[in-house]
Amino acid sequence: MNLSYTEEQVMLREQIQKFCETEYDFYKREEVVKSENDFDANAWSLFAEQGWLSMPFSEESGGFGFGPIELSILFEEFGKSLVIEPYLSNVVLAGSVLDKSNFEGKVDLIEGICSGSMHVSLAYAEAAHSYEYLKPDTNVSDDNKLNGTKTLVLNGKNASKVIVSCVRNGELSLVLVDKTAEGVSFNTFRTIDEKTCAEFTFENVSIQDSDVIASGDEAKNLLTETINLATLCISAEAVGCMVSCYNKTVQYTKEREQFDQPISNFQVLQHRMVDMFIDSELAKSLLFKAMLEVDADSEDKFKHVSALKAHVGKFGKLSAQNAVQLHGGMGVSEEMMIGHYLKKMVAIDAMFGNADYHLKSFSK
Amino acid sequence: MDINFSKEDLAFRDELREWLANDYPKHVKDKMDKGEHLTRQDMVDYHKALSSKGWMGYNWPVEYGGTGWSATQLYLFNKEFGMAGCPPLLAFGVSMVAPVIWTFGNEEQKKRFLPDILDFNTWWCQGYSEPGSGSDLASLKTKAVKEGDHYVVNGSKTWTTLAQNADWIFLLVRTDSTGKKQEGISFLLVDMKTPGIEVKPIITIDGDHEVNSVFFTDVKVPVENLVGEEGKGWTYAKFLLAHERFGIAAVGASMRALNELKEVVAELNNSDLDKKVAEMEIAISALEMTELRLLSDLENGGHPGAESSILKIKGTEIQQGLTELFVEAAGEYALMYPGAGGYGSNDKPSGPEHAAVSLEKFLNFRKTSIYGGSNEIQKNIISKFVLGV
Repeated sequence: MNLSYTEEQVMLREQIQKFCETEYDFYKREEVVKSENDFDANAWSLFAEQGWLSMPFSEESGGFGFGPIELSILFEEFGKSLVIEPYLSNVVLAGSVLDKSNFEGKVDLIEGICSGSMHVSLAYAEAAHSYEYLKPDTNVSDDNKLNGTKTLVLNGKNASKVIVSCVRNGELSLVLVDKTAEGVSFNTFRTIDEKTCAEFTFENVSIQDSDVIASGDEAKNLLTETINLATLCISAEAVGCMVSCYNKTVQYTKEREQFDQPISNFQVLQHRMVDMFIDSELAKSLLFKAMLEVDADSEDKFKHVSALKAHVGKFGKLSAQNAVQLHGGMGVSEEMMIGHYLKKMVAIDAMFGNADYHLKSFSK
Repeated sequence: MDINFSKEDLAFRDELREWLANDYPKHVKDKMDKGEHLTRQDMVDYHKALSSKGWMGYNWPVEYGGTGWSATQLYLFNKEFGMAGCPPLLAFGVSMVAPVIWTFGNEEQKKRFLPDILDFNTWWCQGYSEPGSGSDLASLKTKAVKEGDHYVVNGSKTWTTLAQNADWIFLLVRTDSTGKKQEGISFLLVDMKTPGIEVKPIITIDGDHEVNSVFFTDVKVPVENLVGEEGKGWTYAKFLLAHERFGIAAVGASMRALNELKEVVAELNNSDLDKKVAEMEIAISALEMTELRLLSDLENGGHPGAESSILKIKGTEIQQGLTELFVEAAGEYALMYPGAGGYGSNDKPSGPEHAAVSLEKFLNFRKTSIYGGSNEIQKNIISKFVLGV
């Protein structure tokens, strides 16, 4: 039994930390949020150069073949700095569906994602089926026309291709749609954690056999595995947020003086910060368990990801709320970073099944 | 990163399981499985069975007759015994006073006391807390005055666990009250048969006689029973408390309780309770992984410090939370406690089997967040040494 990270993993973490600290502070993030693309093209090329975009792809697809442990490291660090670059949508969601599929056209798409030159999104969600992704209403008719509406398509605005889950020939399928194809329309909007997101409507969009990425059990497995991996990733991001929440709160209470002393002298605040610290450590422990189970591809991997997601959904939000409370009025100021952790925690809880949903999945 | 135990560690775990299947005294097991009270003799039998296997010195160095087990082996020992529902080992002799004796005591004391602890020939109890000194232990007032070749001890100790069964007590006494309160404390070993010692029961809210007040009136203790130097007792006391941490997370015992709870709750068809049980299971998994992370750190040469206070806080919250869920599961049968036999009796009130012990455990386990440095003190420790505020 050894739960230490390898030297390579430690180096990866340091590399990402260095980027976040030197090139992605909160002011920089604000600039990106206000920019037209909602992502930073320079940062995105840097991610490509550093190999971060190709990290989890298999070696056959031209990636490094890194697994859930390295992804968790990356997301934990992104969580600490609230990085909003579209990594989840491109690399984790669209990327792992393509990478693990037998789709013939996947090589070019993966190359495009790894080099940073192409954005691809996965359209998995529908308004009428919250958290239940395997029985979409969107369908391909017998004469090969795609119809339906997909919601919460992350980074849909920047994507040139969208992978759509739908029913075709009576079974779940994943089909590739070009955003410029006839019959595709979309609206973009912003999520609570400042990411760009789109709602896509497909009206009689022509689908060829060569557009079908996977069908039946293969499609079901690809989607289930991908969502599970993505759930692990955003939970790791939540762990990073929780660590930052207590660190920044400790720092702030040491500097903030009231009644002629730093407010960190007050025991009631100390104990609350200790609770935040403990909850973050427990979240880290559940992250270790979940990422190791996913890495080992064990039978229990879904169960342990659910345990982690349920914990960060509840205690992540609690930590962020406490961070806001202990920052006083500063905590609710839009221009301060701390309140943005709360928005992030709300977003994370809402995605891929909230705390209640995962508590139920866990006990199944 | 590898979460699996080595072949050697797994073989060791098998050896533990074999002992639990074959050599765990049957009369003790039967009572524990039914949630009944153990007698003094039951406890002696249980500890002596471990002694004869050579496992009594589970956390001792080989030099003094201990097992010399690694941190991983200790973890497995604690977990397997907890999962088997064994009584917690009495810590006072083997893991509290013994390390103080071999670290700070003289050769004569080592020879005189350690073998009897290893064979469980002597039952030790702990003379730390006083009516006026709980979390602020250094404020203790029990006085020892040196007169010739004796110390004369006057004062009282409280919350002394199982003092009614004990042969010896280790005692923190004040030998000097002029300087800082942490100075002037000394560490004495006292035979409970010495004239002037009186043990009075304190009955706790579960009806049990587990703790006592111990009064000392002109008790003469030979000077050779002083451990280390006079006035250095506080250093030894703190050293001892660090050893008390072993197994504090009680993961094995909580896993067993969780499995029992799941069986009970499965019959009830109560989705609110199901949800609470699921949350509890996740909390236990988080605690187990936290302990494994600290263990891995320790085995890699790290020195996890105040982080281990998490194990005390969360471990005891979970133990208590489990007993609360058992009470919820008992429903209105919770009212029947303690039943016709009265408090402290092994007679069961009517109602389901699980309901009978649930209330008693719920009340008894309130102690866990109070003893061993209360959970609030643990938070002070984390605040100071981890968060740096």
